[in-house]
Amino acid sequence: MTRFLDVQNVTAGYGSVTVLRGISLHVDKGENVGLFGPNGHGKTTLMRVLSGLMRASEGTCWFNGQDISRTRTPQIVERGLVQSQQGNTLFGDMGVAETLEMAAFSKSARRKAEANLHYVYTLFPRLAERKTQLAKTLSGGERQMLSIGAALMCAPRLLMLDEPTLGLSPRLKEELAQALKEISMNVPLIVVEQDVELLLSLSDRLYLIEHGEVTREIGEENTPDQREIMHMYFGEHAE
Amino acid sequence: MIETVISTLLSGIVLGALYALMASGLSMIWTTLGVFNFTHGALMMIGAFMAWTVSEAIGLGIYAGLVAGIGATALLGVIIEYMVIRPFHGRANMILITVMTTLAVMIILEKSAQMIWGPRLKQLPRLIEGDVSIFGAVISAHEALIVVLAPVILIALWVFATRTMVGRSLRAVGQNQDAAALLGINVPLTFAIAFGLGAALAGLTGVLLGGIRFVTPNLGVEPIIKAMTVVIFGGLGSLGATVGAAFVIGFAEAFLILVVGLYWTPFALFIGLILVLIFRPNGLFGRA
Repeated sequence: MTRFLDVQNVTAGYGSVTVLRGISLHVDKGENVGLFGPNGHGKTTLMRVLSGLMRASEGTCWFNGQDISRTRTPQIVERGLVQSQQGNTLFGDMGVAETLEMAAFSKSARRKAEANLHYVYTLFPRLAERKTQLAKTLSGGERQMLSIGAALMCAPRLLMLDEPTLGLSPRLKEELAQALKEISMNVPLIVVEQDVELLLSLSDRLYLIEHGEVTREIGEENTPDQREIMHMYFGEHAE
Repeated sequence: MIETVISTLLSGIVLGALYALMASGLSMIWTTLGVFNFTHGALMMIGAFMAWTVSEAIGLGIYAGLVAGIGATALLGVIIEYMVIRPFHGRANMILITVMTTLAVMIILEKSAQMIWGPRLKQLPRLIEGDVSIFGAVISAHEALIVVLAPVILIALWVFATRTMVGRSLRAVGQNQDAAALLGINVPLTFAIAFGLGAALAGLTGVLLGGIRFVTPNLGVEPIIKAMTVVIFGGLGSLGATVGAAFVIGFAEAFLILVVGLYWTPFALFIGLILVLIFRPNGLFGRA
C-alpha cells in the first residue's frame, strides 16, 4: 500500500513548550482520515508543521513519496497538500470572488481555476450570492465556507480541514457536513473535529491525539460507541 | 483677489499631488509589511542625485536620469528590505526594531550622499520646460506635469493592487500572512516586491521634486515628515484615504501659507493633525 502522507516521529513546539512528542500517523491513497482529541494537544500544531508554517525539531513528513519536512509552504501547496485553517477570516478587506480568484495562485491551480470556481459556487451557493461582499462582513459559517472554498481553489490533492464546523449553529453545521461529504468524494481529506460522529461519517480511519501523540487508532473494525467516546474525552470515570 | 485664490488653489493641487506620490510608496510598504519605512525620504534624495548624475554629470538628459533614479531606488529598496527588514520578520517587536534599522539606513544614506555628491546644491532640469497659465495664474509646465502624473500613477497602483495577481497577493500578505502562505503565496518575495515598488515611487517623487527644489543630501527630510503626516492623517491603510489626506493637507498648506505665512504653516498643520487625531483616532478617512 502506498502511503500518501506519512508522519514519522514528529516533535515540534513553540519555544520551550513541546506540543508534538514524536507523533506518527499516515494517510493511505484514497482514504479520508479524521483527527480528534482534547484541545491544546497538538492537532493544529500538526497541521501547521505539515503545511510548513512551523518546522519539526525531529522526525520527517512524507507527502506523495517526497520528504516535505524542510519544504517551504508555497511549494507544499503547489504539490497539492492544502490546508484550511481553524476559524480563519482570510482577508477581511477582500471580496468573496476576489479571494477565490486569487486563491488559485500556483501554476497548477491557475489552470483549473475556472472549473474549480464553478465547483466552489455549486458547493456553497451562499458564496455565489455574496461575490462582492467583503470577507469581514460574512457570518462565521460563510467565512468557513470561504476558507474551504479558497483551499479548494488551490487544486488540492489532499485537503486538511481544521475544525470546519467550530462554533456553527446546528443547521449550518448540517449544511457544511453535507458539503464536506461531497468534497470527500473528489479530494481525500484530513479533518480535525470535536464531533466524533461527524468524523466517523466522513472518514475511513480516526486518530485520537492526546499529549502530542496518537493514543488510539480507530478503523472500521473497532468503531467506538457513545460510551467509549465519552471515555476517550473525559477519562474512564466519566458517566 | 480672484488671481490669489486661483494661484493658492493651484499651489494646493501641486502640493497635494506631490504629497500623494510621496505617501503612496510609504503606505504601500506599511500595508504590506507592517513596517514604517523611514528611509523613504532618503530614497527620494538618492533618486534625485542618481538622476542628476546620469542627466547632468554624464549628460544623458533628464529622461535617462529619471529612469536611472527610479531603477536605482527600486534596487536599493530591495537590498534594504533584504538586509534590515527580513532578518527581523516574525519577531514580536518587529515594528520597533525596523523603526531603528530604517532610521539607521536613512542616516547612512544621507551621509553617503554627502560624501559622494558633496554639500553643494545641485539642480535637476525640469521634465518639461516652460510655463502654463491657468485662469491668469502661472505654474511651470513641470508642476503641471506632476499634477497630471500623480493621478495616473495612483490609478495604475490601484489597478495593480486590485486587478493583478501580484497586487492582490501583496494585499493578501498585508492582511493575513499565514493564510496567504497557505494559498501558495511566497511571502518573502511579496515583501521584496512591495519594498522595491515603494522605493521606486520614492525615487520617482525625488526626481520630480528635484525639478522644483535644490537637490541636497537633506532633500528627503521635510518630505518624509510630510508623507508620514499624510499617511497618519488619512488613517493608515487604504490608498484612497492616503490620497484624500494628501490633497487635504496640500490645500491646507497652500491656504495657510497665504494666511499665516510660510514660517507658521508647519506649526498650524501639526495643530490640525493633533486635533484630527483627538477626535478621529483612526485618521480622517480611517475606519474603526
